[in-house]
Amino acid sequence: MKKAITRRRMLQLTSGGVAAATLGTPSILRAQESYPDRPINIVVPFDTGGYNDRLARAFAPFLQEKLGQPLTVINRGGAGAMLGHTYFLQQPDDGYTILCTSAAPYIPLNILTQDATFTVEDFHMINLPSRDYTLMATSAGSDLTSADDVIARLKEDNSSLSIGIQPASADLVNLMLLCDANDISREGLRLVTYDGGGPTRNATAGGVVDIGLVGGEGFLPLAEQITPLIVFDTRQRDGWDAALITDVAGEDAEFVVGSQRGWGVHASMLENHPDRYEILAAAVEEASKNPAAIEALKNQQLATDWYGPEESNKSLAATARVMQQHVDLLQGT
Amino acid sequence: MIDFNSVGGAFSLLTSDWSAWIYLIPGLIIGLFFGAMPGISITMAMAIFLPMTLYMDFLPAIIFLTSIYTGAGFGGSVPAVLMNIPGTSSAVATTFDGYPMARSGQHNKALGIALASSVIGTLSSYILLFVLIAPISRVVLKMGPLELFFVAAWGLMLLGSLAGRSLARGLLAGVFGVLLGTVGMNTAGFIRGTMGVPWLLDGIPTIPAMMGLLAASQLLGLINTTYLVEDEASRKISFRQIVSGLRQAISYPAIILRGAVIGILVGAIPGVGSSISNLLSYSETKRNAPDGDTFGQGNPKGVIAAEAANSSSEGGAMATMLALGIPGGGATAILLAAFAMHNIVGGPSFIGHNKDIVYAIIFSNFAQAVLLLMVGLGFVYIAGYVVRVPLRYLIPTILVVSTFGSYAIDGTSSGPITLFVFSLLGWAMVRYGYPVAATVVGLLLGGLLESNLLRTYQVSGGDPAYALERPGALLILAIMVVSVTITAVSKARRRAGDAAVGQQKPAPKA
Repeated sequence: MKKAITRRRMLQLTSGGVAAATLGTPSILRAQESYPDRPINIVVPFDTGGYNDRLARAFAPFLQEKLGQPLTVINRGGAGAMLGHTYFLQQPDDGYTILCTSAAPYIPLNILTQDATFTVEDFHMINLPSRDYTLMATSAGSDLTSADDVIARLKEDNSSLSIGIQPASADLVNLMLLCDANDISREGLRLVTYDGGGPTRNATAGGVVDIGLVGGEGFLPLAEQITPLIVFDTRQRDGWDAALITDVAGEDAEFVVGSQRGWGVHASMLENHPDRYEILAAAVEEASKNPAAIEALKNQQLATDWYGPEESNKSLAATARVMQQHVDLLQGT
Repeated sequence: MIDFNSVGGAFSLLTSDWSAWIYLIPGLIIGLFFGAMPGISITMAMAIFLPMTLYMDFLPAIIFLTSIYTGAGFGGSVPAVLMNIPGTSSAVATTFDGYPMARSGQHNKALGIALASSVIGTLSSYILLFVLIAPISRVVLKMGPLELFFVAAWGLMLLGSLAGRSLARGLLAGVFGVLLGTVGMNTAGFIRGTMGVPWLLDGIPTIPAMMGLLAASQLLGLINTTYLVEDEASRKISFRQIVSGLRQAISYPAIILRGAVIGILVGAIPGVGSSISNLLSYSETKRNAPDGDTFGQGNPKGVIAAEAANSSSEGGAMATMLALGIPGGGATAILLAAFAMHNIVGGPSFIGHNKDIVYAIIFSNFAQAVLLLMVGLGFVYIAGYVVRVPLRYLIPTILVVSTFGSYAIDGTSSGPITLFVFSLLGWAMVRYGYPVAATVVGLLLGGLLESNLLRTYQVSGGDPAYALERPGALLILAIMVVSVTITAVSKARRRAGDAAVGQQKPAPKA
C-alpha cells in the first residue's frame, strides 16, 4: 500500500503543529517565574584549558546541583578576554548567561588599553574565589638564590638580568613598584615579553630568562624546576619558600594583587531581575561552601573560597584604580 | 631510560581491565570525522568529548581522548588530499602534493600513502617517546627565542621551493604572508594593522584564511570543469589502489623516519607543534629528493613527508605534557584538563610516581596506531567517493561546509568573513600567477618569526655575542647550513652530469 503525504495532509500537520506551539507557549511563560527553568550558559572569555575554563567546568556540577538546571560552558577566547567580555554584555541580563572570568586584570585592561566600550561598573561579581599573586622566580639551576641577590644585581646594573614578563600585566606593575622602592631605574631594564603566563613560566623554568615575574598559582606544576624568590602578597602562599614583598620592600610596600577570577553577572541584572539574582548568588554561595566541591576543586588546584559580592567587587574596583594610576606602564613595553 | 618494572605494571594495567580498550575504536572514528571536517580542529573535537570522560576511570578517559587525538591527526589529511582544504593547519603541506595526485586520478593511492605515513609516523613517535621521554623533557624548556627563530627561518626556506615559475613572485607572496602573520597585538603589547577591528587583535584567524586561500581559490578556478578527476576511467574507488599506496609509503623509510624525527622534536616544543613540523619535513624532503622539481605536481614523497611529520608531532607534544605537565598546544591542554578532572596533576612528580600509567598510555597509543590503519582504510574508502560527485554539486557543498566550519571555530562571523576575504584574495593571486601556498606558509610562520626575533633582541639587549651563549641555536643553524650546502652541491653535480649527457645528444626543450 502506498501512503503518500498529500498537500492537504501536510497542511493539517503543519497547522496542528502551529496550534500546539501556541498552546504550549503560555506554560513556558508561566514556568519562567521560577528561575531557572532552562539551561544556563557560562561564558568563559578564554580558550579551553586555561584557569577560568577549568574553574568553570569543575565548579559547574556543584552549581548545577543547586540550581537544578544544566550549565553549559561557552568559550569565547581572544584579544585578552575583550571579545568574550563584549559578547557577554551583549547577552540579555536575565540570569541565563553568567560569566566566569579573570575579572582583574582583564576587565580594567580592556578598558585602559583596548578602548573597550564597557566600564568596570557594567559587571557585578558574585564571588572571586581565586586571587592570584605575582611570583618572582628563577630557574632551579640559577646562581640567583634570594630576593636580595636579584635586587643587588639590579642595583649594580639594571640591565644585568633578563626579566621574563607579560606586557600590560599586574606583574609588570609590581616589578616597576619594586624597582622604585629600591631606587632601580625603570629605564634600561631588560624586559623579555611573552604572550601568556604559560610561556613566561616555561622560559623562567628553562633558564631562558634570568628571572620571571608571573602569576604564582600556575607555577605549581613546575615547582621542582624553579627557585621562588618573592611572593607579592602580605602572607605566604601555596607553600613557596620565598620572601614576601613586605619583607623586601617594607611593611607598607606598594603592590597589586594578581588575577582575581570567578563568577560575575551583568550589573543591570540586580535592577532588572533582583529575585533571580538572589537565587543565583545564594546558589553560588552554597556550592562554594559545599565540602565536596571544596575537596574536588582543591585537588585540581582551583579555588572555591567564598568572599561574597561585596568584598569581590570592592577588591576588583581597588585593582582597577591602581591599574588606572599606572596606565602608562600598561600600554606597550 | 626504560624502567622495566613499570613496563610490567603497564601491561597488567592494560590487561586487567577491558574498559581501557573499548574506547579505542569509537575514539578513532570520532577523531577521523571531526578531523576531516574543515574548521573543526583536533582541540575542538577533544573539548567536545571532554565532559564525557568525567564518568570514566582515569586510564580509559585518557585513552579515549588520545584516540580522538590520533584519529583527528589523520582525519585532517582527507579533505587536504581530496579538496585541497587542510582540515587543520597541520595538513597544509599534505595539500601541496596530495591534491595534485587526486586531480590526476591517483586519489586512492594518495589517501593510502597518507594513511600509511600517519600510522607509521604515530607509531615511531611513540616508540621514540618511550625511549626519549626523559631527555626530551630536559631540553624542551631550554628552547629559547633564538632557537625558535632559527626553526621558523628553516620553515621559511620552503618559500623558495613553493615559488613555482617565478622566484620573485614566490618571495613576494611569502613576504606578504609573513606581514599578514604579524597583524594583531605583538608580544610587546603593540597593536598593528588591526584597522580598529577587535577580532584582529589576536591576528588573522589562520584556519579560515588558509581555507580561503587554498581551497576556495582553487574551487573558483574549477568552475568550468565537470569532475575533480577529469579522466572518467580513473574516477573509480579502488581498494587495491589504496593498498598499493600503503605499500608505496613503506618503501620510503628514510622519508618517514626524517618526518618522524622532525615531527617529534618540533612537536615537543610548546607553542610550535604540528603546523610547523609538516612544513619543515616537506621542505627537507623536497630539497633532498633527486626528483625535487616534481614536488607540488603530485609527487607521493611530498605526501609521505608531510603526513609522517604531522602525525608524529602528537608523540612529541605528549612527551612535553607528560614529563613537564605543560601543554604544547590545544590538544594537550585538553588532556591536562582531563588529568585535572580526575584529580591528577601532570608534571615531573606524576611521571616519577606513575611510570606504569605513562607506559600504559604509550602502549595504548601503539595499539591506536595499528587500529587507525584498519579504521582509516574503511574511512578513506568511503571518503574516496567524493571524486564521483559532479563538481557542480561538490563546489557549493564544499563552500557551504567551509563556511560553517569557519563559523564553528569560535562561533562568530569573524571566521566566515575572513574566509570570504581570503577566497577573493586567493583567487586574485592565482589569477595573476602568485603562489598562494607561499602566502599560507608566511602566514603560519610570521607570528613565530617576529615574536622570537623580538624576544631574542630583548634577551640579548642587542648584543650579537648572545648567540655564542646558545649552543643549541648554533647547532640548529649549523644543521640548516650543512643541509642546504649538501643539497646545493649535489644539485650542481647532477646538473653538471645532465649537461654532460646533453652535449652528446641535444635534450628536447621542456
